[in-house]
Amino acid sequence: MYKKLGFLLLSIIFVFLIGSQKLYAYESHNVKDYLNYLTEKEVNNLQRSIDKIKEKHDLELVIVITDDTEGKSSMEFADDYYDYNGYGVGDDHSGLLLLIDMNARVAWISTTGSAIVFFDNSKIDEILDKVTPYLTDGRYYNASKAFVNFVRSDLSYFYRALSMLFSLQSILIAIVISLIVTIILSISSKGKVTVDSRTYEEAGGFKLDVVKDQFIRETTTRVKIETSSSSGGGGGGGTHIGSSGRSHGGGGRSF
Amino acid sequence: MSAVKEYRCPNCGAGVGFDPILQHWKCSFCNSEFNKNQLKTASDIKDNLDEPVEDLNLYHCSSCGAELIADDTTSATFCLYCRNHSVIKSRFSGRFKPEKLITFRITKEQAKDIYKKWIKKKIFAPSIFKNKEEIDKITGVYAPYWLFDCITNGYIEGQATRVRTWTSGNYKYTNTKYYRVVRGGNSKYSKVPVDGSNKLDDNIMNLIEPYNYNAITDFSMEYMSGFFAEKYDVEAHEAEMSMRKKVEKFIEDRLRSTVVGYSTFNITQKSINISDCAHKYAMMPVYLINNKYKEKNHIFIINGQTGKIAGETPISLLRQIGFGIGLALIIWLSIGFGGALFV
Repeated sequence: MYKKLGFLLLSIIFVFLIGSQKLYAYESHNVKDYLNYLTEKEVNNLQRSIDKIKEKHDLELVIVITDDTEGKSSMEFADDYYDYNGYGVGDDHSGLLLLIDMNARVAWISTTGSAIVFFDNSKIDEILDKVTPYLTDGRYYNASKAFVNFVRSDLSYFYRALSMLFSLQSILIAIVISLIVTIILSISSKGKVTVDSRTYEEAGGFKLDVVKDQFIRETTTRVKIETSSSSGGGGGGGTHIGSSGRSHGGGGRSF
Repeated sequence: MSAVKEYRCPNCGAGVGFDPILQHWKCSFCNSEFNKNQLKTASDIKDNLDEPVEDLNLYHCSSCGAELIADDTTSATFCLYCRNHSVIKSRFSGRFKPEKLITFRITKEQAKDIYKKWIKKKIFAPSIFKNKEEIDKITGVYAPYWLFDCITNGYIEGQATRVRTWTSGNYKYTNTKYYRVVRGGNSKYSKVPVDGSNKLDDNIMNLIEPYNYNAITDFSMEYMSGFFAEKYDVEAHEAEMSMRKKVEKFIEDRLRSTVVGYSTFNITQKSINISDCAHKYAMMPVYLINNKYKEKNHIFIINGQTGKIAGETPISLLRQIGFGIGLALIIWLSIGFGGALFV
């Protein structure tokens, strides 16, 4: 009888232990998984990659998985989460945040600082293209990994070089400059003129007889200087200002 | 008296030519050197060039008897067969007797080097121009020149401005003062050169100027030996018209240069008078290379005293295209790889 009681006690304790594992949400500095979709190992993997990117490219990545956005829209929540938790590298707080909002079923990417320019709307669309299919399938680790991997490879030197090479702009600039230089070089002179008005002048032969400098009239005009009020609320198109006063870029998609 | 004059070495009888480095005459065979006086006594023929001599286009080389055909203006030449230098006296007689000359200071080898260096820099020149055979064709020629002296009176009048700008408050102010400016003066010009040969392109001949007149000396036929020479086919009064244009520009520029302290100056009136023109006929040293490319003659001229070179280089379309493509590729690659470094 005592043996049976003992077994029951042990199994109850065992269940509690296992249960408590699930209740305890493992999170790292940059990976905030409030819904326990990710294992400790997966979180660590992501954190490591994020650290590498931060070190190499001065951009901080954040991943937030939640179903409670405190009544705010996905965009507002993502921006505020980033701002009020002090993420970001440098004076402009550069970085990206991926919000997986399980309540609205929206994936939202918020960009700050130099990431606004580099990860513009079309890039954000590309990221979402890669990430949302995984989310629809419920593969949250894969989605997060896709996010991190995309940012990493996009920042890599060779990728940037290749995309610069194959842009129409650089091809056109190269052709235009080459054309101008070739034309200039083709106007090769026959020779330099080294004769001026004095070459054949007899020494001391020049005499100035008449010198007149008569003042005729004078005019004064004035032009108003336009005080250049710097226009443009910085950051270009597609940006908005979060509640913290900082401007963010971003985009989202439902899954 | 033969129509053709050859200068011979008193020691060995071979032909003697003027050496630009030594500024003396040198026998090509036994290397003896002679100055002008020694040469004159050796040849021992009184050449009275002030009287016109009968002119022919066909001569006989007194060394080998070959027939030399000279064109109307050739005055000194080489025998094609035995390379003997001949000076055609008739071409230097009467009104064709030059008064002055400047001797060659640059040797043929030096002239070749000058040309080689120059053509190397012209990257679009077809490669045939850089061939040795083409470069070897360089010839030293005494070119006929008219040297003019004249007195010039010039008068220019125009409007000049002095502009001042400053900023005060929100405004940028511009103050312009207008002046009527007059300058008048006269100048003497000496030995203004005008090329007297129709064969030599004036545009290029102008570019090898100036010669250093400190070295100018009286003409004597011996200097011609070893070089080609051409007599003039542009008469003095024709040449005078080119000279007038040149001198008008000289005096105008000179007067302009005395208008100082203004922001702008525009000439509204000018009057130039050239008078007291005197001219002298002179032989000036040049080296010529005449290259043919695609049915066009391209002539390069080197000043035989100073070494200054001028000429019109043809452009090979192939090289241009090759260069253009190559450059575009380099720029494209550096934009790609270099640009990625900074974004």
